[in-house]
Amino acid sequence: MQKVFRKLHLVILVLMLVLVLAACSSASQTVGTGETASPDDSTDTADIPSKEDTPKEVEPVSSVVDFDHELDSYIPQKDHYSFYFTYKTVHPWWDAVALGMEEAQRQFLDKGITVTYEYMAPERASADDQTKWLLQAEHENYDVIGVDVADESVISPVIDGMADAGTKVMTFSSSDAAEGCKRIAYVGNTHNYEDGAGLTEALCEKLGYKGKVAILVGSKGAPCHEDRAEGARDTIAKYSDMKIVATEYDMDSVDQAYELTLKILKDNPELDGIICCNMSNPVGAARAVKETGSSAVIVGMDHDREALRYLDEGVIYCLGVQDCYSIGFDTLQVAVKIADGNMPGELFPEKTNEITTVIYQKDAALMLELLYGDI
Amino acid sequence: MKKKKRITNRTFLLTAVIGSLLVIAMVTVNSIWSSNQTRLETDEAVSAVSRFYLDTMADRRAQTVSNQIDNEFNQMEKALVFIKDEKIESQEELRETLGKIKNLLSLNRFALVDQDDVVYTQYTTYTGKSRHEFLSEEKMDDRIISTVSLYGSSKQLCLAIPTPDLTIMSKPFKACFVQIDIKEIIDLLAVDDQGRTYFALYSKNGSNLSGTELGPIISDQNIFEATKEFVSEDVWKENFNRFAEDTRGSMTFSSGDVKETLCYVPIWGTGWELAVLIHESVILDQIRDISEKNLSTNRNQIAFTLLAVLFFSAVLLQELRALSKYELDAEKEASKAFQNMASTDSMTGVRNKHAYSEFENALNQEIQNREIQKLAVVVCDINGLKYINDTQGHAAGDQLIKEASTMICNYFIHGAVFRVGGDEFVVILQEKGYDTMDEVLGELNEKVEANIKENGVVVSIGSSVLQPGDQQLHDVFARADHMMYERKKELKSMGAKTREI
Repeated sequence: MQKVFRKLHLVILVLMLVLVLAACSSASQTVGTGETASPDDSTDTADIPSKEDTPKEVEPVSSVVDFDHELDSYIPQKDHYSFYFTYKTVHPWWDAVALGMEEAQRQFLDKGITVTYEYMAPERASADDQTKWLLQAEHENYDVIGVDVADESVISPVIDGMADAGTKVMTFSSSDAAEGCKRIAYVGNTHNYEDGAGLTEALCEKLGYKGKVAILVGSKGAPCHEDRAEGARDTIAKYSDMKIVATEYDMDSVDQAYELTLKILKDNPELDGIICCNMSNPVGAARAVKETGSSAVIVGMDHDREALRYLDEGVIYCLGVQDCYSIGFDTLQVAVKIADGNMPGELFPEKTNEITTVIYQKDAALMLELLYGDI
Repeated sequence: MKKKKRITNRTFLLTAVIGSLLVIAMVTVNSIWSSNQTRLETDEAVSAVSRFYLDTMADRRAQTVSNQIDNEFNQMEKALVFIKDEKIESQEELRETLGKIKNLLSLNRFALVDQDDVVYTQYTTYTGKSRHEFLSEEKMDDRIISTVSLYGSSKQLCLAIPTPDLTIMSKPFKACFVQIDIKEIIDLLAVDDQGRTYFALYSKNGSNLSGTELGPIISDQNIFEATKEFVSEDVWKENFNRFAEDTRGSMTFSSGDVKETLCYVPIWGTGWELAVLIHESVILDQIRDISEKNLSTNRNQIAFTLLAVLFFSAVLLQELRALSKYELDAEKEASKAFQNMASTDSMTGVRNKHAYSEFENALNQEIQNREIQKLAVVVCDINGLKYINDTQGHAAGDQLIKEASTMICNYFIHGAVFRVGGDEFVVILQEKGYDTMDEVLGELNEKVEANIKENGVVVSIGSSVLQPGDQQLHDVFARADHMMYERKKELKSMGAKTREI
């Protein structure tokens, strides 16, 4: 009997061993530790500035700037072109124009046509500097010289002189020369007066056609800036309860625009609105308004990144955005045609009209993404 | 002394069944626990593996970007040496040289900047202060790496080297630089892993620089805007700070059924974070597949083991029972033999006085309970045994006893024969033996009387049957014994030998 129990114990022991090993084998594959951040329902909502709805229907923001360009079917007569372009002042607005030009240059290169060019501007807008540069370029054997007119009264005669000497001159981007000037063609904004009038109209509507406003202008004599200021003044004049209390020129300097706005606000603490006629104006004005806590409504021009952020924050009410990229692309394309001896007509117009779109606060974020990839 | 508890078959079976059930329950519970534990720990292991995998991948990709940046800087240094050797005298020659550099060193957008911040490229010359942020630095002492957001949302990496000793066309040049489209860098990192992992480059504030999608939840949005609702505030802030501080980290978040883990590492000098993301389900599915297979195998093994345990337990129980029964029977047999030995007269083979006493006790109980009707006692005494012993020896006496016993047994074939004394036998008759008693007694007495003449075995026989007043067997025995003595006298008169002769 004892032997039987001994055998029984042995068998049970073996079976228990099998069971333990089986259990261990299922547990032994669990290795490692890890820390997992658990999702949480809590949300930390950032303060979002209130967005005011646009008072009127505007074009979709995506169509404000056209980055999708292709050269037209014109076949250039040479395989190499050399151009000289000069514009008012070193400023990001013209850097955007430059990108359009570079795209056109790349597309010409793909077709086996080399386009080389200089794209120059002084540190500060100066008709005298521009005159000097143009006269220097005249002797450099460029196929075409392009100029964004700093002051039409000064530059137009210079252009005429160059044209009389056989130099092919065109105007481009923001400012054309004076009426009757001998430049061959203009590619750029042809509706500066209307842009100024349109922005001012939007401001008047916002203010209920009643209030004191100031006008900030860029460079004295710059046709585009002056035309916009004129459009603004004429619009204000239509409404008897609207009054212009100051007009200042920042000479395309953001810092100047800021200082001038501070001064205007100090002199006119009850200021209701500021009309900005160039790219630097709204940035400086917005800085000052935000800093002083003024309730002045700002309308302005162009696509400066900081200005768009102020628009997004609600400091600026609306901005007129020009399609700089298209201006640059079309400028180079027209320059090639002019270099080949073509004149305005079927191949290109005497004035190539480029669009300006007024965008409001609700469009700011999309515009920042579109232009600067701010996500 | 404490009385030992008796183990019955029922107790044994109960213990075996409860024991087996306990073992099965323990194995089953253990299996389920192990299975659940395995799943939990597998999930944790997956997170750990995911992070390790992503960490490694992010490191490798960040290293690739760093190597690319180093390579670009090296090429730029070579380009500067090349330019210095060229002795450039005009803008045309400079453009031609830049074209050569493009072909020789694969520096597509290599540019030089003079002291007036005029930028010279292969095809254009432009005033670049507002366009290139690094030019606004008052003094350039070292290499500069910066990220440039171009109008039109294109983002580029700008690498610049100061060139204090470079003079071309009698103009001092302050720097050279290249701008690389970030999409081109991303192309270097692209690995075809069938959409299992995602990666993207981010600025310190979490903006996507590469335009690549970091999985379906974050997509190409700002990484912190996109993850805000999926992680706790603490985790969110911790990672936000890590980004801002240019350090590495990781984050796991879930949206619906989708669980994603991302790791990010800084790319030295760029202010970028390279983030790599993987759906945990990718690793989890693979590990779970393996785990499920193992679990399934283990379940089968455990089930098989349980069945084997049950089978072997049943077999063992059966064998144990059989063995116990065998042992029990053997013990019973031994006990019976021992009992037989104790109750049998060794000389004659009939039951002895001890057996008679036990039998008498049993019968007395029945007599007292009136459970018995037919009972007779026959008392037999061998005549002349002493004479034979004295004259012919004990062997002859023993022989006489054996012959007498044989004769008694032969006649009382339906009775129980006991040797209760040296020459005395008692026969208990019941049922058939009782019914045939008179006939047998007659035949036996005839034989005895015949044996007197033939000098054979002579036995004096007295008998009596159970009477209604009898309280015990001895009452019947006494009457039979008395009758036996009467018969002995009778036989003596017939010439039978007696003790006295």
